[in-house]
Amino acid sequence: MEKEKNHSRPVEESDVKDNSRRDFLKKSALMTAVALTPVAAARAAEMHMDERLAQVFEKMPLHLEINGVAHNLMVEPRSTLLDILREQLDLTGTKKGCDMGQCGACTVHVDGHRVNSCLTLGIMVNGKKVTTIEGLAKGDQLHPMQEAFLKHDGFQCGYCTPGQIMSAVACVREGHANSEHEIREYMSGNICRCGAYPNIVNAIQEVKEGGMAI
Amino acid sequence: MKQFQYQRASTQQSVLDAISKPGTKIIAGGTNLVDHMKHGIIAPDKLVDITHLPLKGITPTKTGIHLGTLALNSAVAEDALVLQKQPLISMALRAGSSQQLRNMATVGGNIMQRTRCTYFYDTTMPCNKREPGTGCGALEGYNRMHAIFGASDKCIAVHPSDMCVALAALGASVIVVGKKGQRLIPFNEFHRLPDDHPELDNHLAKDEMIIGVDIPDNNFAKNSYYLKVRDRQSYAFALVSVAAALELSGTTIKKARLAMGGVAHKPWRLFEAEKFMEGKPVSEDTFKQAAQIAMQGAKAYENNAFKLKLAPASIVEALKHAAGIV
Amino acid sequence: MPTRYINRSTLQHSNIPTIPPLQQQMNKLNHPKSSTGPSRVDGRLKVTGAAKYSAEYELSGLVYGVLVGSTITKGVIKSIDTQKALRAPGVLAVITHFNTPVVPGYVPEKGKPEPEKSPLRVFYDDKIVFNGQPIALVIADTFERAQFAGSLVKAEYTEDKHITRLTDHLDKGFTPGEMFGMTPEYSRGTVAAWNTAPVKLEQEYIIPSEVHNPMELHACIARWDAENKFTVWTKTQGVKETQNELAAFFKLPPENIQVNSKFVGGAFGSALQVWSHEVAAVIGAKVVKRPVKLLLSRQDMFTSVGYRPHTWQKIGIGATADGKLVGITHNAVGQTSAYEDFAEFPTGVSRYLYACPNVDTHYKIVSLNVGSPIWMRGPGEATGTFALESAIDELSYQLNIDPIELRMKNYAETDPQSNKPYSSKFLNEAYKMGAEHIGWSERSAKPGSVTKDGLLVGYGVSGGVFSADREPATVKATMMADGMLVLQTAVSDIGPGTGTAMVAVAAETMGIPAEKVRFDLGDSSYPNAPQQGGSTIASSVGSAVYMACTDLKEKFQQLIGNGGKDQPDYVKVLKEHNLNKLEVVTDSKAGSEVDKYQMYSWSVHFVVVHVHPATGVVKVDKVACVADSGRIISPKTARSQIIGGAVMGIGMALTEEAVYDHRYGRLVNSNFVDYHVPVNADIPQIEALFVNKPDPIINPIGAKGMGEISLIGMAAAVANAVYNATGKRIRTLPITPDKLVEWDVVS
Repeated sequence: MEKEKNHSRPVEESDVKDNSRRDFLKKSALMTAVALTPVAAARAAEMHMDERLAQVFEKMPLHLEINGVAHNLMVEPRSTLLDILREQLDLTGTKKGCDMGQCGACTVHVDGHRVNSCLTLGIMVNGKKVTTIEGLAKGDQLHPMQEAFLKHDGFQCGYCTPGQIMSAVACVREGHANSEHEIREYMSGNICRCGAYPNIVNAIQEVKEGGMAI
Repeated sequence: MKQFQYQRASTQQSVLDAISKPGTKIIAGGTNLVDHMKHGIIAPDKLVDITHLPLKGITPTKTGIHLGTLALNSAVAEDALVLQKQPLISMALRAGSSQQLRNMATVGGNIMQRTRCTYFYDTTMPCNKREPGTGCGALEGYNRMHAIFGASDKCIAVHPSDMCVALAALGASVIVVGKKGQRLIPFNEFHRLPDDHPELDNHLAKDEMIIGVDIPDNNFAKNSYYLKVRDRQSYAFALVSVAAALELSGTTIKKARLAMGGVAHKPWRLFEAEKFMEGKPVSEDTFKQAAQIAMQGAKAYENNAFKLKLAPASIVEALKHAAGIV
Repeated sequence: MPTRYINRSTLQHSNIPTIPPLQQQMNKLNHPKSSTGPSRVDGRLKVTGAAKYSAEYELSGLVYGVLVGSTITKGVIKSIDTQKALRAPGVLAVITHFNTPVVPGYVPEKGKPEPEKSPLRVFYDDKIVFNGQPIALVIADTFERAQFAGSLVKAEYTEDKHITRLTDHLDKGFTPGEMFGMTPEYSRGTVAAWNTAPVKLEQEYIIPSEVHNPMELHACIARWDAENKFTVWTKTQGVKETQNELAAFFKLPPENIQVNSKFVGGAFGSALQVWSHEVAAVIGAKVVKRPVKLLLSRQDMFTSVGYRPHTWQKIGIGATADGKLVGITHNAVGQTSAYEDFAEFPTGVSRYLYACPNVDTHYKIVSLNVGSPIWMRGPGEATGTFALESAIDELSYQLNIDPIELRMKNYAETDPQSNKPYSSKFLNEAYKMGAEHIGWSERSAKPGSVTKDGLLVGYGVSGGVFSADREPATVKATMMADGMLVLQTAVSDIGPGTGTAMVAVAAETMGIPAEKVRFDLGDSSYPNAPQQGGSTIASSVGSAVYMACTDLKEKFQQLIGNGGKDQPDYVKVLKEHNLNKLEVVTDSKAGSEVDKYQMYSWSVHFVVVHVHPATGVVKVDKVACVADSGRIISPKTARSQIIGGAVMGIGMALTEEAVYDHRYGRLVNSNFVDYHVPVNADIPQIEALFVNKPDPIINPIGAKGMGEISLIGMAAAVANAVYNATGKRIRTLPITPDKLVEWDVVS
């Protein structure tokens, strides 16, 4: 399924505070569009120029397959995968807990590997497959790890939970769930302030011992 | 984060062309660079993405193992060849960071990572490394995590890597390439001490890039240990870490390698202590004496005096583990 | 049929305890496993990512706000350069004290002077009172653009000399006012009697500031719906309190403000009041005439939404040679901000935990140029208990009496402060259960004498206690035609599983399956409920749910008119009477029992630690926590709550400390790299045990809270275990390796 979606909100005329920016297009008559690199466009915008034009040149096309759905987006190179998921695609299951790679709440799978989406520039995973918590269940049927988290109460507030579950699935797939000790070590990149760690370990052990293909 | 231009490089040459222009930075895993950009520590005009270059390989060479600069930290940590021949590197990598970050971070990026000094990170604070001439915030500030070796009054930050401590101990070489061609930098000479120019972390020229690391073969595989002491059991930077590698002949130490992390502006190789141990019997006493030799010249600041105890204690502990006498 | 409004504030307690199905599970409930009992009613939403937290509502026209913080600690703003930010792409507005619309509630009434102390009034004037204080709000069309523009805002200041180090200014302490009926000064018997006892000690105990750090960043989306009406989606522990506080700030009738907080990603006290960023979001939305989403950064979380205050304590304690307490003197000095007097009474626990004839306690606070603290899990008691239960442990070694025996010798059968009977107390049973479970008999009384695999082994114990209250709560219960029972009340669930527990109470009371009950919360338009703080929800809302269900059942019985013999078939009755629903709204609150009884929840924490003798690294090896908190309503979530408190207690004991560079008055570790909350590898299996005996007095369901007691005492238990392992008494938290490391020079 091919899906065109871009939720970035264009600035409306009424938002423009500085009239001089509106004149930018006129002023820039001598400038050819191709000569405008994104940085030049950013500078142009800083120098009272039209931000709508700047915006066009600041963005790059990004093709991602997220949870099996193809997305063709236009993004700024500085946009992280996390912000693209949460703010542009309304996939808010992936959480922002620190935005600096220090808590694991934003964990997603890129081409099957768990990564921190807050430190991943969206543009750098162009063409890759991304799986988020929303893509784990098959319709109404929960993924075994989701079931195990439910059964063992591997959470309280639920905020770190999507990251924990994405990490837990990867932990088992990687072969790092062979003992309680190993699970704890390989799940230490996901902070849970509610302190559900023992329950998380129990959930992962159950999935691992269940031997289901996950 | 400032807006920047993004370029995906398809050849080494295009990377070298790109970085010859000011304001351009190489990005690979991004775990350190994106973090810095978010903190406002640097604001490049352009990023050149090298992750599509064919530099991911972990391969045997005639004299050892070659790690491509883009080999992921997680891949190196679990590589069969590395585990068999250089388990110290795997141990060090697994002691660092989280699996998510190791899945992103590369060998080259790990080597290039910058200090975690809180004054470096906080752009409202003085820091000669971030902004030369502003002073060192840590010198008379909160310096619990800081250096006890080789610091200057310009900077007392430490290098945060675990992998690099192991690579330093094992005498690896960093392969770099620039416009003038390729050169090999012995690991111990790659990173710098701060001296008067803490803004420079290492001896990589501005127009050069790392393409890989060579680790020479050795006989340390059976007797290697990486000890990391930190404030929590995982996912924390080292208060002190020790890479210890021994080649034993019976109960005699034939060869020894020792390096520390969390104590200096670079991975801190302990040549004197190594030399002392060679020919000595495996014993706690040998290791304690080696630790004392290792600590010569150490200097503490207000909050890190504990490292003068923790470092030698950790050296002894790591060596005991390496020798199998724990 | 009109809604019947029942007010049963003077409740008769003759029907306690009466919920039979739970009795059958009793054994399981004493020691549940992680898989015991029903799972969370909102669990599916949480494991699929469908649960929406405050920052996750996609509203039409939504724009992004980013706060800019002060880089000085005390002084005045001379100027703020906003021009660069205003010119940056996508920026809609930059709001500072120069151009902000007036927040009417900030302004003193006509003729009245500026208040000496007040909650932080964001963008009110040019005064800087702490480092990181918001000085500007940048609003742009995307998050990235707002953040970048925020970095372009530069202020100039005139700086004043600041003070931020508590321990340099203990002499500046002043006595705070009374709060929750607690007085800062207290004594009974002879002052300083401890000093005359045959066995005595006097020691100082220090805790650093600790930060709640819930995983969800505090966030607020604000939208003006009309000239005098707005809606917020915000992280709060009480939608009604947030509504009322915002109403006071904006001088609007509370009903003009809609507060939504359906899912709260943890809070632990940090969402007990309206903070400046929430007011800023409302101001911002007014200015740009669009909904504004304002998300704090993790760094902001350390400065702008409170913390457990750095506190210095000194305890003098004395006993007879056979271990009878003679006296306790407990002094505490905590930090507060320069603009608010925050008090939490850490000395309270010394007044009532033990039967001790002579007690005097003093508590002062010091105004520093820091952000205001706020209650953090187990407020006051967590701090005080670290000192008192460490001192008791120290005393036990001096007396050479087992620490549990010492506690039993001074066991309070009635409340030592009021002499009232307890509503219930089974703390002695809790000690027995925990001691058995942890293998207390294995403990060596000689510190540093046990090693295992080269590691020093130590056992530690501590008690915990927190007031058990019941606040007024109202529940609307509606039986729908399809047999679905819908309960509504304006409570928040920050994680303990309030919905799950309330559904359990309702299902049992109504005699219907849990799947047939829906519990709606987090909406200020629902009937009144207390804030989720102070461990009161199970008792308060649980009672209200129980009573509403009882009322609803009664209403059904009246319809049937059979005298209440049989369980009605609700669907059938509604159909027969041509009704599409039947509804009650029931008020519930404590009665005169609060005057006759003293009510507490109790806990005991047992810990085994392993200490690496060379490096001083402490690893918690085993934990058993026992709660005496009345009836256990929901075993799975109750167990998780106990474990969660223990984990936070381990953090308090071993890793957590907010550090300032006092030269700048600025935090140097306001991130998860340098401020260490426990990770998975720090935490062993933790056994949660429950006495599980209903409290027959406190409320009709016999349940008491456990959110606070799960943490209170944990830090002392760990510190006591470290002493048992090493012979080193660490009285300044956290117990990091640097405080234990050993190195003997060899010749």
